[in-house]
Amino acid sequence: MSAPGRIAVVGAGLAAVSLCDALRDQGYDGRLALYSAERGLPYDRPPLSKDVLLGKARREDVLLRPEQWYADQNVELHDAAFVRAIRPHDGGVELADGRTSTADRIVLATGGTPRTLPVPGGDDPAVHLLRTWEDAERLRVQLLPGARVAVIGAGLIGAETAAVAVALGCRVTLIDPVPVPLAAVVGEEIAGSLHARHSAEGINVRTAGVERIERRPGRREVLVHLSGQSGAVAADTVVAGIGIRPATELAEAAGLTVDNGIVVQAGQRTSHPNVIAVGDVARQDGHRVRHEHWDAAQRDGETAALAILGRPERAPTATWFWSDRHGSRLEAIGTMTDAERTVIRGAPHDGAFTVFGLRGDRLVATAAIDRPRDIKAARRLIDRAIPVDPAQLADENADLRKLLKG
Amino acid sequence: MSTTGTGIRVASVDDIEEGEALKVPAETTGHGDAIAVFHDAGEYFALDDTCSHGQASLADGWIEDGEVECPLHSARFCLKSGQPQCMPATVAQRTHRVEVRDGGIWLHPGEETTA
Repeated sequence: MSAPGRIAVVGAGLAAVSLCDALRDQGYDGRLALYSAERGLPYDRPPLSKDVLLGKARREDVLLRPEQWYADQNVELHDAAFVRAIRPHDGGVELADGRTSTADRIVLATGGTPRTLPVPGGDDPAVHLLRTWEDAERLRVQLLPGARVAVIGAGLIGAETAAVAVALGCRVTLIDPVPVPLAAVVGEEIAGSLHARHSAEGINVRTAGVERIERRPGRREVLVHLSGQSGAVAADTVVAGIGIRPATELAEAAGLTVDNGIVVQAGQRTSHPNVIAVGDVARQDGHRVRHEHWDAAQRDGETAALAILGRPERAPTATWFWSDRHGSRLEAIGTMTDAERTVIRGAPHDGAFTVFGLRGDRLVATAAIDRPRDIKAARRLIDRAIPVDPAQLADENADLRKLLKG
Repeated sequence: MSTTGTGIRVASVDDIEEGEALKVPAETTGHGDAIAVFHDAGEYFALDDTCSHGQASLADGWIEDGEVECPLHSARFCLKSGQPQCMPATVAQRTHRVEVRDGGIWLHPGEETTA
């Protein structure tokens, strides 16, 4: 397969920029255009719910690449350029302002759109979503000392936002219908320890669904009514962190196969040979879930670049993500429900420990709080399919590096 | 580039195990940042300790195959050149010359290696 002469990338998040980076790194010297619906240089999203909300990071601190990189790598960056439609058969890309261009290959890296609260009042102006730089800026100025903040959803974004808000002196209520969020992914032990930290740090944790958001005439606050519970939560600001839906509008309109994401095969290929999809918007055929994580997005970009250039694929690796809250760091590899049994290393009562998930004599998942070395070892043990001895995993005196050497 | 002197003796060769690193504090290096001295497969390398991306100590990183992986966000740097090998890092770590002499590991802060 000969390399295409022109590649257009729709979206400018991590997957998109990783793709551009990998293409140039692999020697691709054709045209490369990046269309970002947002204004300004592409940025990294993880800091939005952490240092950006805390006011510790500015836009220039979270750029994916410095401005000069786009010139050096000859990447045509079009910001505030909303793509209205794509035409797979002739590679057409149509912008909302009427401009059109064509490419030999179109990459859809459109990401996700935060889910809005599907309840009455869910669209109240007091309700914030968090996905973009502008979202973070709007929310940040609300997180004043003493402000009453209700965070709905205690997954990654919700938990991080609640932790930031309480650190900034807000009075925080964290609402989730699941008693121990994240348990399926990281296991009961880690999830339980993390969730308990919220209460210990002064967050009011409510296990409930949300029924409606009520705005009372003439009042600045809203009332968050919980399902099956009396005593609504009064809040000046509400944050909904209840996940994203993949931004598949362009793909659907173009007739691509879409089912909980743009369905992709090996090499991130969609149902049309001229179109590739990467990042949060893509779902690997045969996999139930989309991997909405930083590391997965970066890998998608690399994988797609190699496929576009007809180079051999790299071996797949286990999924990895992290989350920062209350000064602690959660990291997880794989999914704990894939494990038949678990082994704990370290002392759970100290708050810093690791849970290894095994299937037979192989490691399939690992989750840890504040133990980066365990995670790095585990990632390699999983990717290299090295048999492990549970007793050694549990033994703090056994060096995990040595297990890698067999 | 500073002048070549005798350097600073930071450890004995037995002090830093294979795959481990030593963090030499800024007060010792006189260099503004601490410097991490890495032992990878019988060779020693030194880079600025603080990751160019986040506030993490590369001496706590994972050392393997000529690279160190940051403990925080898994950015990898070439131990020899200091160049980032993957995102999220985009800026190279400064390198410093390391010398093994008289059973000791000698660090030359500010003397870049020519990788």
